[in-house]
Amino acid sequence: MMLDRVLPLLIEQLAAQYPVGAGRIQGGWGYVWASYGITWGAFAVYSLSLWLRRAHPPMPEEHQ
Amino acid sequence: MAQRTRQGLFALAVAMLAIGAWLGLSWAPPDREMGDVQRIMYVHVPSMWMALLAMTLNFACSIGYLLKKSWAFDSLAEASAEVGMLFGAVGLALGSIWARPTWGVWWTWDPRLTTAAILLVAYAGYLALRRFVEDPERRAVWAAVTGIVAFVDVPLIWYSVQWWRSIHQIQSSPKTVDPQMVLTLRWNTFAFLALGIFFIWSRYRVAQSERRHELAAPPTLPSAPQGLTASGVRL
Repeated sequence: MMLDRVLPLLIEQLAAQYPVGAGRIQGGWGYVWASYGITWGAFAVYSLSLWLRRAHPPMPEEHQ
Repeated sequence: MAQRTRQGLFALAVAMLAIGAWLGLSWAPPDREMGDVQRIMYVHVPSMWMALLAMTLNFACSIGYLLKKSWAFDSLAEASAEVGMLFGAVGLALGSIWARPTWGVWWTWDPRLTTAAILLVAYAGYLALRRFVEDPERRAVWAAVTGIVAFVDVPLIWYSVQWWRSIHQIQSSPKTVDPQMVLTLRWNTFAFLALGIFFIWSRYRVAQSERRHELAAPPTLPSAPQGLTASGVRL
């Protein structure tokens, strides 16, 4: 019962001491661009590979 | 008609990816602790989800082939494994990039990361097996069995963060995430889904074409009935 009243006060004090964002990672856009670049690059290369391997209709002699 | 639908699906996926990139890179707010680095989530998470979805499709098609002996199931299993590998490899690479600024390392043998790496190794083996076995029917059976065994890893990946102590976060709830982040993640997930369907559909057509060429009856032998191979497997 006592803990129910003390705990929120404790959390409130800690939150005031360490405001939101105090430990935020700064920058890092290089990692973000690398990730999006790898994603788009991989999709583009795979799309190209599918296009190069695309199904062709059978040649006329294969019907014989 | 099917060709136009497929092209339309590709155009839709590309447009959705472009909007998804804008949402992820600009519109969604930075994370409270990870800042802008968290924007990697909008491509990492959909990639891994699509990988798991594709492997689940491979599992279903593997069972389907063993039950029905249909080449359509075999071709779809091959297509889904290859596309699943693509998404899995992208997802794992992005996870590694995201780990560097947040965990301080490119890689750690955490249960989630390890099971994801096992997935790629297992399906690389599956695709290699398909290359090594020349007889189409033997290859289809062996691949189906391998696909079923390899699928064991999929639920392990999903539950690894709940069953074992993991540095990777557990599945989060939309209730605890900023609505803009939820919308961005959902949008990108549907964009990846559209692209995944297009990839699997296109790869399935390639695989079916290869099967037809492989199974074409030699001219000196009597032709098999329309749509059937000599041993009765349906095309």
